[in-house]
Amino acid sequence: MPQMVTAPLSSDCPLLDQARVVFLLGPVSISVASHDAAGVPSLARAFGCRVAEDRREVAVLVPTRTAEALLRDLAAGAPIAVVFSRPKTHETLQLKAPAARLLPLGPTDRQRMRGSGSALAAELIALGYSAAFSHALVAPSREDAVAVAFSPILLFDQTPGPRAGRRLEPQP
Amino acid sequence: MTVPLSALRACFEGAVPATIATCAADGTPNVAKLSHVHFVDDRHVALSYQFFNKTRENLLDRRRATVEVIDPSSAALYHLHLEYLRTETEGPLFEYMKARLAAIASHTGMSKVFRLLGADLFRVLRVEAMPGDALLQPSPPADLLAGLRACVVALARCTDLAQLLEVTLTGLAQHWDVHHAMLLMLDPDQRRLYTVASRGYPESGVGSEVRVGEGIVGVAAGARTPIRIGYVVQEYRYSQATRRHFADSADGGALETEIPFPGLADAGSQLAVPLLNGDRLLGVLYVESPVEERFTYQDEDAFVVLASHLALSIDGLSRAADLAFELHPVCFPASVGPHVPATLPEARSTAASGVETSGGPIQIRHFPHDHSLFVDNEYLIKGVAGAICWKLLREHAESGRADFTNRELRLDTSLRLPEVTDNLDARLILLQRRLAERCPLLAIEKTGRGRFRLIVSRPLQLVEVSA
Repeated sequence: MPQMVTAPLSSDCPLLDQARVVFLLGPVSISVASHDAAGVPSLARAFGCRVAEDRREVAVLVPTRTAEALLRDLAAGAPIAVVFSRPKTHETLQLKAPAARLLPLGPTDRQRMRGSGSALAAELIALGYSAAFSHALVAPSREDAVAVAFSPILLFDQTPGPRAGRRLEPQP
Repeated sequence: MTVPLSALRACFEGAVPATIATCAADGTPNVAKLSHVHFVDDRHVALSYQFFNKTRENLLDRRRATVEVIDPSSAALYHLHLEYLRTETEGPLFEYMKARLAAIASHTGMSKVFRLLGADLFRVLRVEAMPGDALLQPSPPADLLAGLRACVVALARCTDLAQLLEVTLTGLAQHWDVHHAMLLMLDPDQRRLYTVASRGYPESGVGSEVRVGEGIVGVAAGARTPIRIGYVVQEYRYSQATRRHFADSADGGALETEIPFPGLADAGSQLAVPLLNGDRLLGVLYVESPVEERFTYQDEDAFVVLASHLALSIDGLSRAADLAFELHPVCFPASVGPHVPATLPEARSTAASGVETSGGPIQIRHFPHDHSLFVDNEYLIKGVAGAICWKLLREHAESGRADFTNRELRLDTSLRLPEVTDNLDARLILLQRRLAERCPLLAIEKTGRGRFRLIVSRPLQLVEVSA
């Protein structure tokens, strides 16, 4: 498996500006991907995230029960990609990093996960999905989880449309 | 846990976006949202190729993907482990996906964004049910199999095409709670379909036409694939398909536009199923509902089986008629109504069938170039059905005949009937229904197998309009 190509930062500014941080913390659906040694992709959902003060590190909270393959791949040092998508607007961002660290949940993380699950469920209900469906979808936000921390070096706008796939640069 | 793909078809309705993970040549993973995953069969799915993006680049390069799909009612999550096989840019799979993509795009207000460039076909290597707290599935509302059985039994009892059409439309309402439906037959020119029966509309629309390849009915016919759409979608509405004319009408191929197409103005759900006997297309069964997402995969299964039985029955009855025609070519002699006075010279003439006449004569004009008929300036019908009607009226006027046989119509070279014989029955049904709707003073009544009677209840003035 060749190593992931890293993209040097074009400035000292973090990739995430404050508006993007607000988006990541909003009512979004979060999916995390990696791959095994053979290049077979692994995939799992996350509920909630936190962003370091300097905006250079992001941690997504991944329920362990539904993420066996993903966590195994990340623990083995494989790179990570995470997509954040808001159902109401289809606004979508993807972050990539050459590696991730698996950490136990912090003191406020359980609360953060539940809050994120509730916010996503409320957004889905407002869009017309049934309450039963919406709550069942976010049920893992109340389960055991790990924090998957990474320092994004690539950021992409994946909102459907002509600019989908565009790489975003740091905003001073 | 591994589950069969067909057990989770609800996940492929496009109600909840899917997620796809891929891996680039350099090992960089990629994760993206997908508008929908298309169920092909128990071992294959297809993804819509709309843009050349990172996902696609990775798929072409490494051929592997992991896709998360979600059951829209239970919220159960499944991971599909996929291997890319090929991209199709035409044919049934492509047409079906194009129609569904348009529906989803329209539903999500992104019609301008989505355009199908290809259908990427994948082998499903493994289906993994993810652990979670999925809700229990509610039981299906209608027993489709029991309804199908009842419809098939009723079809088997039919002795002519008219009964087949009636039994099908009645069965849809009675057993499946489907109250807006129509049956269209393929014109022998293979380029258009004409409505021969409908149910649930203020105007029957019998005789209206759609072009093969246009609208959901025309696309289903052209690609010979069922198409099911669960949202209001502009691109596949009939109003637009029927307004267009054939590019070249020199061969008399202009689309019938005098008769408005029936159909709901804003159908929430549409399902068009081709009537196929083997590879041969006979027509299309179309059902619709004002309710969005009314028809499921299970409904589609049931309607495909029903359409198949209907096609076989139509062909079976047609073959039986041919056989009777071959074995007993003289058993249906053209009978003459002896009591009916014959009063008719050539171009301008008046015919009266005697007893029931009331009111003044009705003028019927015939335009030979397309065999269109007008009753007191109101359009009635054209084409083969128009030619048949004109022949019957002339014979009636000239000799007073009222009883006719299918056989003499088949033998009449001036009608230029195509070799496909079931077309004649369909044309007679079309004519019979148009008369009942637009010109009640004329009627066609079946009097036996291969026989019918022309009933004229007012004096007629037949006018041949020269070009």
